[in-house]
Amino acid sequence: MENKLHVKNLTISFRTSNGKVQAVRGIDFDLAKGETLAIVGESGSGKSVTSKAILGILAGNSIVEGGEIIYDGKDLLKIPEDEFHKIRGDKIAMIFQDPMSSLNPIIKIGKQLTEAMLLKGKARQKESRATFNAYLKALNEAMIKALAKDDPAKAKALTKKCKDFDTFEYKHLDLETPYHNAYQAASDAVPEIKSILFEIEKNAFTDPMERIKQVKKLALDSINEWVVFGAKAGAVRVATETIVNDTKLAKKYGKWETVSKNLEIILGVLEEALTFDMPNFFSMGYYLTFSGEKEIPKLASVAELNAYLRKYLDDNFMLSFIADAKSAIAYSAEASYKEMLEAVICLKKYREVFEAEKLDKKTAYEAYQALAKEVMETVDPLNTVKDTMVYTFGTGLKTEVDKYFGAIVKNASETKRYAKQKAEYDRIVAKGKTPNGEVVPASITDLELVRTNILSQIDRMIEHFENLVAAKSSRDFEAETIALIDFLKANASGIVNKVTKSMAKAKAIKLMKEVGISNPRKRYNQYPFEFSGGMRQRIVIAIALAADPDILICDEPTTALDVTIQSQILELINKLKAERQLSIIFITHDLGVVANMADRIAVMYAGKIVEYGTSEDIFYRSAHPYTWALLSSMPDLDTNEKLDAIPGTPPNMIYPPVGDAFAARNKYAMQIDFERQPPMFKITDSHYAATWLLHPDAPKIDPPKTITDRIARMKERRVEEHE
Amino acid sequence: MNNNAETLLKVEHLCQYFGANRAVDDVSFEIKKGEVFGLVGESGCGKTTTGRSIIKLYDITSGNIFFKGIRIGAGIRSYQEEIENAKKNYKEKSANASPEESARMKKELDALIAARKEDIKKARFDQKNCDKEYAKKLVAEVKAKYEKLLANATPEVKKEYKDALRKAKKAKLATQIQMIFQDPIASLDPRMTVREIIAEGLIIRGERDQKVIDEKVYQMLELVGLVREHAGRYPHEFSGGQRQRIGVARAIIMNPELIIADEPVSALDVSIQAQVINLLGDLRHDLGLTILFIAHDLSVVKYFSDRIGVMYFGKMVELATSDELFKNPLHPYTKSLLSAIPLPDPIYEKKRKRIQYNRLAEHDYSVDKPTFREITPGHFVECNDAEYAKYESMVE
Repeated sequence: MENKLHVKNLTISFRTSNGKVQAVRGIDFDLAKGETLAIVGESGSGKSVTSKAILGILAGNSIVEGGEIIYDGKDLLKIPEDEFHKIRGDKIAMIFQDPMSSLNPIIKIGKQLTEAMLLKGKARQKESRATFNAYLKALNEAMIKALAKDDPAKAKALTKKCKDFDTFEYKHLDLETPYHNAYQAASDAVPEIKSILFEIEKNAFTDPMERIKQVKKLALDSINEWVVFGAKAGAVRVATETIVNDTKLAKKYGKWETVSKNLEIILGVLEEALTFDMPNFFSMGYYLTFSGEKEIPKLASVAELNAYLRKYLDDNFMLSFIADAKSAIAYSAEASYKEMLEAVICLKKYREVFEAEKLDKKTAYEAYQALAKEVMETVDPLNTVKDTMVYTFGTGLKTEVDKYFGAIVKNASETKRYAKQKAEYDRIVAKGKTPNGEVVPASITDLELVRTNILSQIDRMIEHFENLVAAKSSRDFEAETIALIDFLKANASGIVNKVTKSMAKAKAIKLMKEVGISNPRKRYNQYPFEFSGGMRQRIVIAIALAADPDILICDEPTTALDVTIQSQILELINKLKAERQLSIIFITHDLGVVANMADRIAVMYAGKIVEYGTSEDIFYRSAHPYTWALLSSMPDLDTNEKLDAIPGTPPNMIYPPVGDAFAARNKYAMQIDFERQPPMFKITDSHYAATWLLHPDAPKIDPPKTITDRIARMKERRVEEHE
Repeated sequence: MNNNAETLLKVEHLCQYFGANRAVDDVSFEIKKGEVFGLVGESGCGKTTTGRSIIKLYDITSGNIFFKGIRIGAGIRSYQEEIENAKKNYKEKSANASPEESARMKKELDALIAARKEDIKKARFDQKNCDKEYAKKLVAEVKAKYEKLLANATPEVKKEYKDALRKAKKAKLATQIQMIFQDPIASLDPRMTVREIIAEGLIIRGERDQKVIDEKVYQMLELVGLVREHAGRYPHEFSGGQRQRIGVARAIIMNPELIIADEPVSALDVSIQAQVINLLGDLRHDLGLTILFIAHDLSVVKYFSDRIGVMYFGKMVELATSDELFKNPLHPYTKSLLSAIPLPDPIYEKKRKRIQYNRLAEHDYSVDKPTFREITPGHFVECNDAEYAKYESMVE
């Protein structure tokens, strides 16, 4: 599965007036595309800080002490704010806990929904155009290099092909957009009409005029050459003509027959229209641009038309274009492999520089520059999936080298300070007085360790390249060509889709519908206080989704909501995840709600991940005492005994405990828990836990009875309800 | 729980309208002494409003609330409506009736209006004067107690008598009902020390002896699992769970008989939630408290309550003991609510299907209006005749 986000060894602390609070202490995780990772922990465990770091909205007093957050080949902790603007909210969006405080109370919902769309629309258009042009240019160049090295005529022909692709690509979008609008209007109208009919039948009709007017507008919008056409369009027009007037009369005299009859006519037409195939606008775009014909040929069915147009496109353009693109991609990949082999040689050569006992500043920086350049040259301009390792290699290496030379200076001054303070301390002790305060030990960075890091980074890169080269034969250029063309199509639509106010409104209303807000047209003009808690949270989700993000961070999205609404919101998030292939980071303190949501769960305590595994691992085979405590402290429907509350409170993170942070509240704690921090023990490939109980020498302790009983009980319930 | 226990709180046809918004609409229930009564429903269903109406934070629109047999809340809207309806009825009928008939009807109408007006007057009086009544009762008790002692009293006894009398005069019935609020941050005054917060009620009730106050505060702090040293601190120095404990201490220092706990654990972490629930459970057993527990987390309510009432848009739709309610839910809304509870089991959860509830689609109340009826002993459901038959057959 494609990984979207890597978090490596992230360490964050906060400066406060009382000292440095260590909020996150070296956590690692990754997030795959279309996966939900739940981060569970008490307040103060660092889960929200982690999410804020990913979004780049840490408070001003935070210090990122180390680590990497890699998204799309970039380390989010190191990129400048300008670049972050393109990612925050656009690629990574967040839903906050309290929907009331994340909405502006004095701005209408509609404006809040469309604000970002309008602002981002322009930026996105520019960006997609740049991407589209860059890739098309790269493709063109690679084509010429691969197929027409010394043949200017052929080169010209290839350039023309790319240009043609560009031209009819535009045309196709021009054709497709109105179709989509009409189709959307039809599919919006169907459920609305059904609900109106239902209410008429039940004789409990609220606000009829507004909704009938809306249905009329939607029905008329859906009349389009390809959606509702011909005689059917006429029928819809006739049915809508008098419907508003009829409603007025019906309201007065309580006779709804005419209205419902007309509604049923419209419903019938639209429902039928929604079952039709969608015409292939892509090939239609080519046909209209280059065939010289002004009209699309009249054929019996859409399927036949599609087949005809597709054949026309393939015969005249597409097949040869794909063949050319394929050889271009293969050529470009080959070139990249050649660069990789060179880079491996170069990496091996410069590795020696860092092998020296003591590094020389000048040569080290020179080596870094040469390596960064050499590694970046291996990038294949036609590859749409970015190789994160290549992109982060340069920055990562520079950080380490900087750290090395920075540490030489800092170590010296630290040693000096320590010596001075120690002398002062000893002097006071020698006098027989009690000094106030301890001597802070010198924080010496281990130069050797930094150097090893550098070497291992280079080794990793070499290994990575060697693996790639070895896997050369398994690449499927056919599939990659199709993927590239799809990628170009997607970016082209970004260029064409200019965002105007009315378009933003249409999109906002669509989004509101998608997140389950009824009567969105009316709601669009309301203020946040007119919404209930659940509805507000839906708006917040809609705002987060407005920019089509890849990653959605949900920071306790349901804590402020009650059970039914919570369950609705969770269902909504799950639905959106499936539809949009979202990766979700779900932060919560309540293990109960994540059973349904999470693919994997990370349990955090005192800034560390203490257990990590699939949701089955955590609920059925949990191994860390803290996870046990969390599971057994919540009541379920069969709990009768006193709850196993976790005694005490989380530790003060200004002075984090030496050993396992949970030891003081842990009834299974052993002596070693107070002395040394447990490492992550691997239980299975997907399941890890940091507790000394998993050490081979530790006594075997079973999970508490509450948990085992519950698992057994739930199994029974499952079997029972299954039968 | 003892079924024959005395009824501590009785709510009769409680209505609380805010303009056109019927926040609570005709809700009736009883709470027995010593039990925990859970009130569940989604946000906006009126459960908090019910709690606040009971403690008289709102004047109720209509209905009656009895606490220990004394009417502490009374609304007049239903009486007014009755008068209006009778007038309308009279107008319609008298138009085509004989003069004698008409005169008889007029007489009936006048009698009815007079009776209802009397009721209104009485309700207004009770609403205002229930505390005075209670104080009068207490004063009489104090006087009776000291009557003999006063004959040859030392100055100390006289002082004691005066003190007791003053407190009795100031006593309010409402102090027997205390509330624990949802948000432990917003419900504590940030500028008062914990000592001041906890002791405030005592001082208002007339306690003047600082030593007694301090002793009582310390006692309460220890009861809720805090220590004496905490008395001098300010709320911001405490964690969420500890703040909620302060809220509990503030409530129980008044020695109440009934505690209204309005979502006391919703704002807390799961692990702290368990601590606070355990604390409330312990206090309930030690002090013999009766609790009206308002919450939306059904697992917690199920665990903590003896009986549960389910509310939906201002109406009580189902009421039963907690085991019965979870085993045999009858009302479709209850079923929908139960189907939404997340359980800590991934395989089960992935299969769980939430039942949707749509009031319009589920019931046909166009002709036959629903009422609150008892299906099996102790199990009440809002239904009409057709549904009543259906539910009865479901139980069997």
